[in-house]
Amino acid sequence: MILIKLAYKSLLNRRGSAFLTLFTIAISVMLLLSIERVRVDAKSSFSNTISGTDLIVGARTGDIQLLLSSVFRIGHANNGVSWQSYEYIKQQRGVNWTIPLSLGDSHKGQAVLGTSVDYFQHYKFAKKQPLSFSQGRTFAHLDEVVLGAQVAAKLGYSLGDNIVISHGMGNTSFHHHDDNPFTVVGILDATGTPVDKTLHIPLAAIELIHSGSHTSHEQHDDLTGEPKQITAFLVGFDSPLYTLQVRRNINQYKPEALLAIMPGVTLRELWEMLTIVEKILLLFSIVVVLVSLLGMLTTLLANLNQRRRELAILRSVGARPWHLFTLISIESLLITFLGCLVGCGLFYLLMSLATGYLQSNAGITITIAMLSSYELVLIGAIMTAGFIVGLIPSTRAYFYSLSDGMSIKI
Amino acid sequence: MINIQRLSFKWHSQQTIPTLTIPSLVIEHGEHVFLHGPSGSGKSTLLSLLAGINKPNSGTLSVLDINLAQLSHRKRDAFRSDHIGYIFQNFNLLPYLSPLENVMLGCQFSKPRQQNALQQSDTLALEAQRLLGALGLSSEHHHRSVADLSIGQQQRVAAARAFIGSPELIIADEPTSALDAANRTAFIELLFAQANLVGSTLVFVSHDENLQALFNRSISLVDIMEQVI
Repeated sequence: MILIKLAYKSLLNRRGSAFLTLFTIAISVMLLLSIERVRVDAKSSFSNTISGTDLIVGARTGDIQLLLSSVFRIGHANNGVSWQSYEYIKQQRGVNWTIPLSLGDSHKGQAVLGTSVDYFQHYKFAKKQPLSFSQGRTFAHLDEVVLGAQVAAKLGYSLGDNIVISHGMGNTSFHHHDDNPFTVVGILDATGTPVDKTLHIPLAAIELIHSGSHTSHEQHDDLTGEPKQITAFLVGFDSPLYTLQVRRNINQYKPEALLAIMPGVTLRELWEMLTIVEKILLLFSIVVVLVSLLGMLTTLLANLNQRRRELAILRSVGARPWHLFTLISIESLLITFLGCLVGCGLFYLLMSLATGYLQSNAGITITIAMLSSYELVLIGAIMTAGFIVGLIPSTRAYFYSLSDGMSIKI
Repeated sequence: MINIQRLSFKWHSQQTIPTLTIPSLVIEHGEHVFLHGPSGSGKSTLLSLLAGINKPNSGTLSVLDINLAQLSHRKRDAFRSDHIGYIFQNFNLLPYLSPLENVMLGCQFSKPRQQNALQQSDTLALEAQRLLGALGLSSEHHHRSVADLSIGQQQRVAAARAFIGSPELIIADEPTSALDAANRTAFIELLFAQANLVGSTLVFVSHDENLQALFNRSISLVDIMEQVI
């Protein structure tokens, strides 16, 4: 007890260097926790992008390329799927629903997706959550558009606004379909997935834009139409048991070269490709923690030499060498413990400041929850490392006290 | 109180001539002894032996009828904290504790001394205050920073720390070397008064032979080392 009090008062007396050391540790703890939290949450946000879909079918290409183009709107699908093939697969036994997807157009840099109303019913993300509307409804006419949450927020659109879709991707498309304005009839709730950055229009409207027809203002009942081809489509089965068989059939489909992927499997493959990046991030934060602990070691060792008088005085009042060993150990533990505590505080501060930014810019949903057991293990590891590093000055104090005895050196 | 017979001590085992050889030295209970000798004569070495930091290579060294030469390292540490109060030359105090806490530190590593202190006063803090008062440090200084005290005041705090819990032996290693003549005498008088009060034996080490007159017994280390039995 007296040793804890001595360690505390002694640290307080050297509060300048002790605080700096503590702060270094706090920063490193914050960094490690933040990187790990973002990594874990990025992974779950990532794998939450699509769920409830059994197969994604597109023209034959790489698994990951198909996933990226159809779900993440990254890259282009070179080929499409012909409408006949789509109709044929739709009729297969066990198929419960299909959602046709037609991509390739954009509005002010945001992807435009032509699809059917089934999309709003069957497309699911995270833990099989369906899409929901924060305002309005699904499109019911060819000139209506449903916006993702982020599109509406970023471009400042609200229900009833008229917008124009351009052909091709990017902001600076030469060919604007000025004659085909769309009316905003619905805005979706935020999902933290690429859906937020998408404008959804009826599949048939895509055909109209491309054919240059001016019939869009007429009232059409058929929102799907019969386009020549679509980019890809999503399939849901009555039972997952059909998945493998239908997948094989599609991959061996003679009339057209098609590819069917299971999104869960491909998402995992994609994440595996990114593990090297996450490992490097983890490595960096571990190195930062080690550097901060070495900083503590330097400070403690440098101070120790100036404290040999203090050690001699303590010896004279009856402290044994192991008391002094314990004293210095408590100091290093105290610094590491307080460093971890302050680090956790900084971590929560940073997370609460960064959630909004990460959600809207990276689509990563950060959960501000209690420390997970994994994070507690990390903190435990830092404490242990701090304790082990602290053993070096403690051992030195032990031997100083043996060699100096009560003669005061320096 | 202290009984040394045929003691010899070497810092290193390779040394041919021992650092310290004392054929015989006896100090009685309650004596105030002035131990003097020039620098390098082995005063500090003898004190480290008396305090149980080091152990003689041969001979007996008894304090309170216990032969320290036969005690383990651990037991000598315990013996020191239970029975010996030690005053250093200067800078005796831990800078991060208040004068009062510095005094209390004197009995915080020893149960018997804590009990002795609690027989005098109700709490350790009260006992520390009482001793500081007895040694002439007014209560306004008790909670100040140690750095605000003069060297003379710091030495009084150090003395109070040595006396708390009434140890049988007080060892003072040149405690007055940083004090001026007037303060020096006053400080030694205070030490005597306090030592008489609790019946402690006082071993006072100095190279300043002017102080010799104040003590009832004076020992020259050079003389006793040359003694032949």
